[in-house]
Amino acid sequence: MGGAFSQLVMLGSSGMLLTALIVLWRKGVPAYITAYRWQSWLLAALTATVGYYGGDGQLYWVAALLLGLKGVAIPALLRTMQRRFGTEREATPYVNTEVSLLIASVLVVFAYLLGRPWMALTQLPTRQGLPLAMSVLFVSLFIIVSRKKAITQVIGFLMLENAIALLAVVGTFGVPLLVEFGVFLDALMGFLVMQIFIYHIHDTFDTLDVDALARLRH
Amino acid sequence: MSLILAVLLAPPLGASSLAILVRPYRRFVGWVSTIGVALSLAASIALCTTVMGAGPQQEAVPATALWRVDALSALLALCVTLVALVAMLLGQRAGHPDREELARTRYFWIFTNAFVFTMLIAVTIQNVALMWVAIEATTITSAMVIPLTRTKASVEASWKYLLICSVGIALAFAGTVLAYFDFVATAGEVPGALNWTVLRGAAPSLHPPLLQLAFAFLLIGYGTKAGLAPMHTWLPDAHAEAPSLVSALMSGVLLAVAMYAIGRWKAVVDAAVDPSFTNRLLMGFGVVSVVVGTFSLVIQRHYKRMLAYSSVEHMGLVSIGLALGPLGAFAALLHTMNHAVAKSLSFLAAGRILHRYDTTEIGKVTGLLRVMPWTGALFAIGILALVGLPPFGLFVSEFLLVRAAVVTGRFWVAGLVLVLLLTAFTSLVHHLNRMLYGEPPPAVTVGERRDWSVTVLAVSVGMLIVLGVTLPRPVAALITQSVRGVIP
Amino acid sequence: MSRYVVLVVQPLVALALAPGLVGFVRWLKARLQSRRGAPPWQPYFEIRKLFGKEAVVSHTASWIFRATPFVVFGTSVVVASLVPLILVPASPLVAGDVFAAVYLLLLGTFFLALAGLDTGSPFGGMGASREMTVVALTEPTVALSIVALALSAGSTNFSQIVARTIAEPAAALGPGHLLAFIALFVVTLAETGRLPVDNPSTHLELTMIHEAMVLEYSGPYLALIEWGSALKLLVFLALAANLFIPWGLAFALAPGALAIGLASAIVKLGALAATIAVLETRVAKLRLFRVPELLSASFVLALLAVMSTFLVR
Repeated sequence: MGGAFSQLVMLGSSGMLLTALIVLWRKGVPAYITAYRWQSWLLAALTATVGYYGGDGQLYWVAALLLGLKGVAIPALLRTMQRRFGTEREATPYVNTEVSLLIASVLVVFAYLLGRPWMALTQLPTRQGLPLAMSVLFVSLFIIVSRKKAITQVIGFLMLENAIALLAVVGTFGVPLLVEFGVFLDALMGFLVMQIFIYHIHDTFDTLDVDALARLRH
Repeated sequence: MSLILAVLLAPPLGASSLAILVRPYRRFVGWVSTIGVALSLAASIALCTTVMGAGPQQEAVPATALWRVDALSALLALCVTLVALVAMLLGQRAGHPDREELARTRYFWIFTNAFVFTMLIAVTIQNVALMWVAIEATTITSAMVIPLTRTKASVEASWKYLLICSVGIALAFAGTVLAYFDFVATAGEVPGALNWTVLRGAAPSLHPPLLQLAFAFLLIGYGTKAGLAPMHTWLPDAHAEAPSLVSALMSGVLLAVAMYAIGRWKAVVDAAVDPSFTNRLLMGFGVVSVVVGTFSLVIQRHYKRMLAYSSVEHMGLVSIGLALGPLGAFAALLHTMNHAVAKSLSFLAAGRILHRYDTTEIGKVTGLLRVMPWTGALFAIGILALVGLPPFGLFVSEFLLVRAAVVTGRFWVAGLVLVLLLTAFTSLVHHLNRMLYGEPPPAVTVGERRDWSVTVLAVSVGMLIVLGVTLPRPVAALITQSVRGVIP
Repeated sequence: MSRYVVLVVQPLVALALAPGLVGFVRWLKARLQSRRGAPPWQPYFEIRKLFGKEAVVSHTASWIFRATPFVVFGTSVVVASLVPLILVPASPLVAGDVFAAVYLLLLGTFFLALAGLDTGSPFGGMGASREMTVVALTEPTVALSIVALALSAGSTNFSQIVARTIAEPAAALGPGHLLAFIALFVVTLAETGRLPVDNPSTHLELTMIHEAMVLEYSGPYLALIEWGSALKLLVFLALAANLFIPWGLAFALAPGALAIGLASAIVKLGALAATIAVLETRVAKLRLFRVPELLSASFVLALLAVMSTFLVR
């Protein structure tokens, strides 16, 4: 049981990391939306797996919610936004692709170093997913910081939320259901508000380029 | 207790729902909100007295309950409702607004009430994860109000605010999960495991390196929300571009609520790790914030941004206070209260100045004392209070802070804080002088009626003076007991 | 005894199979593009034809130009004897070090680049500089993929790596293994001059990388270089196949085991060649400044492979 379970968890978490790296590698917003969709599906699958092996029925509900919200609804909304604003290509980001990928690998190493004390601490079969979750967290942070289009920043933020959900699932086999609902609500509200803001930005600035949002200085 | 709690929390929620339902906006919605917040204020005062009456051993609430109000929560609830009441009283505007302004006002009341509601939940709830949910909700609700007038600057400010604070909050959640992970690995899944009382109780058996990592995440995460440098970059923009009523709330109490979260976690981590770890981190961030805030004040050209950077500086002082043991914590909490009153006063006065002068630049605002004698005086008092001049309350709290630094042997901190306070004093007073005196610009109407908004603000000034001259015994006792919430 | 068999017979088998491999890829591509295409054994005829022709050498060329075909061919042959193709020697005494193999191949590439510069032809120089760029970017990835394998096996010796993978098949399905395989595959495409890095069938000099370096070669020299390049492709594919999916390799000199080893090698190489053919039909050549992006991505994959293998220990 332990062997297959840990392997599956590790595969799923690595998959999530790879989808985050795709955002650093590719240049088109539709590719980013697809990568986010795959990441959310992987997260839902992982949650269901942990629920199955951990014997916690609640996690099935959580997985279903994740799938519905983050796997279907949010990507659909993102695609509508992207089609509406015609932001097909990400303009040259602040950091170019090769350096971004190298920085991402440094962040992964950093996350592994940070995760060493935990892994030594626990006997959970999912413990190998912990540093991977931290890596996705750091890579998402980097995406937010280094990309220029507002939509890409939102996608980076959504991936950050996925990373934290992964951390909760892998480290603690999920947090209590009440908290889970609260976090979902927050995520949904946050995303909706960001969507509203993207419309605001487009209305006011006529572009989604975050570079234009540089008037407020000191 | 639970009845009082319900009276505390229900009015803002009810007012927000009312504002959603009433379409188009009617004036009575604003009045209902204000009366509601007044009720909440009464409830928070009742909470304070109940908490004081129960004495230091107030363990009547089971550890698995969702809500729990101890002295620290009561103190912060008091600050929140007080500032909210003052802000809302000033929000009742006379005159006949047009349809667009009606829609904006409706928006304003919906989200401001929701904002106050989420802040109150954050300080009274016992579950740290739900506290996190409430604080994230404050980001969302306040972000909705900032771009009330859809200008390029306000949209930019609100986008930065939303993104940076959401990222910070997400990191704080990561820290929460880490601490929870440690707890579950040690003690198993206990109901109420996420309540901070349970965490604090179990803390000695948790693993220090993990908790240290968790605290680092939490400090960076909640510190972003509290405006600690170097995560403060959203603060000047957001606080300057928001409507001044919202700025008063954000600058006065939202930052304090974020520091409250940090304080609660400090109590948990200190029970497991040697306090010097958290103290060093808090001290570091605090000192950087004070330095950054002060030096940004020197070259400021916009008065609202000036006030915002002053908030960064004061939050840095609070952070330093939390790092200096019980004496410092007392000073920090007193400072939080004083700052809430003074900053809200300043922002509300600044809002009136903006309304009259229609510019945010310090250079363009001249002859304030002649154009708006009452508001000018109030603004001047606010600024003088913020720089720590007696007889206002901030002098006392800053003095106590420096004393705490000296008593614990940190002379360099005391010296640095004094030097920086002096720098802040010089720059703020210099800017103030430019604004107060001189010839008024030709396009501005001179003269001001003394309406009741001025009276409300004068009451705030009175409170500041009272806090500064004689710290009332009940308040002092409340703060002393609150310190136990941070330093066990 | 098995050492000598490996040292002599394996390179001969590899030499025999290599042109067929290249021909197979070409033939499959043609079929996928709805063309008839030359039969898979066409390269054998081409090599024989080239050996019969006269070699024309520029006046300005130095000894490097004449030596390079032998270096390229020679290193490929030596590496073919090191790589586990059919037989894995039981004792680790044969210098079966992965690093040795990779860097011998690099020696050949280095000489080829020099030869490109040697004649003074502008296309040669262009090809040489491009090739060096690509190689500089692939070397860290190769090293890391090897380290990922070596970490789990505890040694960089081929036989030990293969033995370890066979002993613990569960580890072979781990993400570390998979990531290292993908990274190595991308490196193979880059080092052997396949799409999307370099189009092997292009006739436009400005788009060439590998072909540009060998533009000046003719006759037997060209035959040796073509054969050596085909052998390089075979060696890389054999590495990718047999290090990661080693089942079928012979461990003893029994004729049955050897036959199985040969058959499985042909099957695996054929499968990988088919993958290459499909990939080449599917993707377009990357513009040169995009190649580092692809290679950085493969570097990150290799790094992740190392990280995950490191953890599993």
